[in-house]
Amino acid sequence: MADVTYREALRLALDEELGRDQDVFLMGEEIGRFEGSYKVTAGLWQKYGANRVRETPISEEGFVGAGIGAAMMGLRPVIEIMTINFILVAMDQVINHAAKIRYMFGGKVGVPLVIRAPGGAGAQLTAQHSQSLEAWFAGCPGLKVVAPATPADAYGMLKTAIRDDDPVLFCENLVLYNLTGALPENGDGLVPLGRAAIAREGTDLTLVAHSYTVQRALRVADRLAQDGISVEVVDLRSLRPLDVDTVAESVRKTNRVLVAEEGWSTYGVGAELAARLQRVCFDDLDAPVERVGQAEVPMPYAKPLELAALPLESKIEAAARSLLAECGL
Amino acid sequence: MSEELTMPRLSDTMEQGTIGRWLKREGESFHEGDVIAEIETDKATMDFQAYEDGTMLRILVGDGETAALGAPIAIIGAEGEEVPADAPAAASANGGGRDNGAAEPAPAAEPEAREEAPVATATEEAPSDGGGLRASPIARRMADAGGLDLRTLAGKGTGPDGRIVKADVERALAGGARPAPAAPAAPQAAPPPPGEGDEVRELTPMLKAVARRMAEAKATVPHFYVSSEIDMTRALELRAELNAALADSGEKVSVNDLIVRACAQALVQHPQAHRSYVDGHHVYHAHVHVGIAVALDDGLIVPVLRDADTKGVRQLAVETRDLVTRARDGKLRQSEIEGGTFTVSNMGMLDVAAFSAIINPPESTILAVSSTVERAVVRDGAVVPRKIMSVTLSCDHRACSGADGARLLQTIKRHLEAPTLLLA
Repeated sequence: MADVTYREALRLALDEELGRDQDVFLMGEEIGRFEGSYKVTAGLWQKYGANRVRETPISEEGFVGAGIGAAMMGLRPVIEIMTINFILVAMDQVINHAAKIRYMFGGKVGVPLVIRAPGGAGAQLTAQHSQSLEAWFAGCPGLKVVAPATPADAYGMLKTAIRDDDPVLFCENLVLYNLTGALPENGDGLVPLGRAAIAREGTDLTLVAHSYTVQRALRVADRLAQDGISVEVVDLRSLRPLDVDTVAESVRKTNRVLVAEEGWSTYGVGAELAARLQRVCFDDLDAPVERVGQAEVPMPYAKPLELAALPLESKIEAAARSLLAECGL
Repeated sequence: MSEELTMPRLSDTMEQGTIGRWLKREGESFHEGDVIAEIETDKATMDFQAYEDGTMLRILVGDGETAALGAPIAIIGAEGEEVPADAPAAASANGGGRDNGAAEPAPAAEPEAREEAPVATATEEAPSDGGGLRASPIARRMADAGGLDLRTLAGKGTGPDGRIVKADVERALAGGARPAPAAPAAPQAAPPPPGEGDEVRELTPMLKAVARRMAEAKATVPHFYVSSEIDMTRALELRAELNAALADSGEKVSVNDLIVRACAQALVQHPQAHRSYVDGHHVYHAHVHVGIAVALDDGLIVPVLRDADTKGVRQLAVETRDLVTRARDGKLRQSEIEGGTFTVSNMGMLDVAAFSAIINPPESTILAVSSTVERAVVRDGAVVPRKIMSVTLSCDHRACSGADGARLLQTIKRHLEAPTLLLA
């Protein structure tokens, strides 16, 4: 199969799951006739009709709640939140209902719901529309939170998420939509949730990332390779459950670890990994766990300031070099 | 009033101890019962607790250094108290003391002071900064594994604030940095120089103990060996039946558990094969404590099943699994690795046709168990397939005769071949 974009991989996964299971349906703003703000649902309204590709008013709390209700009754809704920034008005539904219903109903009722939402920054969309909030949700028991970085994982994990019996927040990234890559030739292409992947092997430094930051990390690894530094890139893929084992195995090999993420570092993915790794890899570390994230400010509008706030490759590279310099490399 | 802490006796065979690490630095205070150091004996790493409140005034034997039993290892006293001038200096068992102290330019006034007061040498060698050596965890681990005394790299670390990092240790190990010599050891013949590319490593305290005790045993205990073949067909059937019945409980009985059970029963019946030769006397053991040899990644330890004759196979199985797990994790207590009266060394899982084991003194017998293999044997005139296990009992001829050993082995064999006896 020819390479496809991340966007097309998502569309294909939705198409196949809609075709496979009558209980699957989509809900969201402008996802039908307009094919979605980012065209992820292109052609699906025409193919499956308005009953299974349902357009909603601008009312996230309402349609997330409706999705939860439908899921409790046995359907498998896939909800598109136009960007993750808009999920904030539906927080009560996500955190207080979707995440808790299985627990509060003694395990008798689950919520097989998928919420798709792109995050990310870099297009001067300023403070309210440039956030990467996945770490907030990854701190909430009852939710699964995934953030694939490649078309193959986007395809395989979306299908797995739809078939999962618990609520999954599926984090996409605006910059990733045009990334191209191959889909698996054989098999069903399903990718399990909760498993990280080694995106590139190396021996001197473990660079951990998720979502679009994985692509940045791979380019940083390329640059460092020119100086003879071998970087192993671990793509977390899932934030909850978090696959610490794979990261730890890498750290045992490299003895050094840098976590990069597009969101804020404070209480972020790097913070969580640092806490876990200092326990399981204490005697393997050659330097403290280091992390890079977005500057601790609301995202500025001005382009130079936006660039200054983003965890660009140059910043990840500088952090990697500084960490390696501490280790005499 | 300051006083010396000395190397405590933490195991009955220990002759010296190695400071794993100090948990209290110089100047730090502690309370009664606080763990102030971890000390590696020949068998285990033990906590060294303070027996009264106090303050660490001076560490005499640093992390990784070894001292003889009763030798001073630190000076403690009250907070702010001066170390008396006649106190021992920090041990310089490794020759150089602490490089970081020596490398720094001494204040101009000091040489004169040194001339006036002979104890100044001691003051100089004691670290002035509280004695902490900055090294990354992996650097410490690699130095430990490679037998490198990290203090030889003090002041030479290339990390932040002179932290010793992995690359420093790699360089030192590659450059043939001398392994830290053990405590002032008896003079020995110089070993032959290693060949090109060979790596010389210090033994861990455990391996040192194994080497010493095994050499001693083989050199001083007159071993003789009795071998036999045991038909394990019925014992294996019994085990399968037991495990099927226990499947729900998660318990599992191993062949080794059956062997331990058979040995414990047999030892009770043969007191002449269950006694030790000690200083011209025979010590008849009142309790049957069976040691089981556990192979570690690089080492060997023998945890002991106490009063094994009073325990059924299920209990032996549970206790064995716990002991073996903790043996591999290095979490055995001293009391769990001493006092054995008999040992089972089982290499059945390693596809072994036959072997004999070295006795673990003061025990007088050890059973070497080889693999069980299906063989054609003659029974009542017909050739039948049976599962045969060969065993070899090593005996101390000062404690028992050949016939004593043979009778013990016969009973073990009888119990395993008629395994309902194991349940009796």
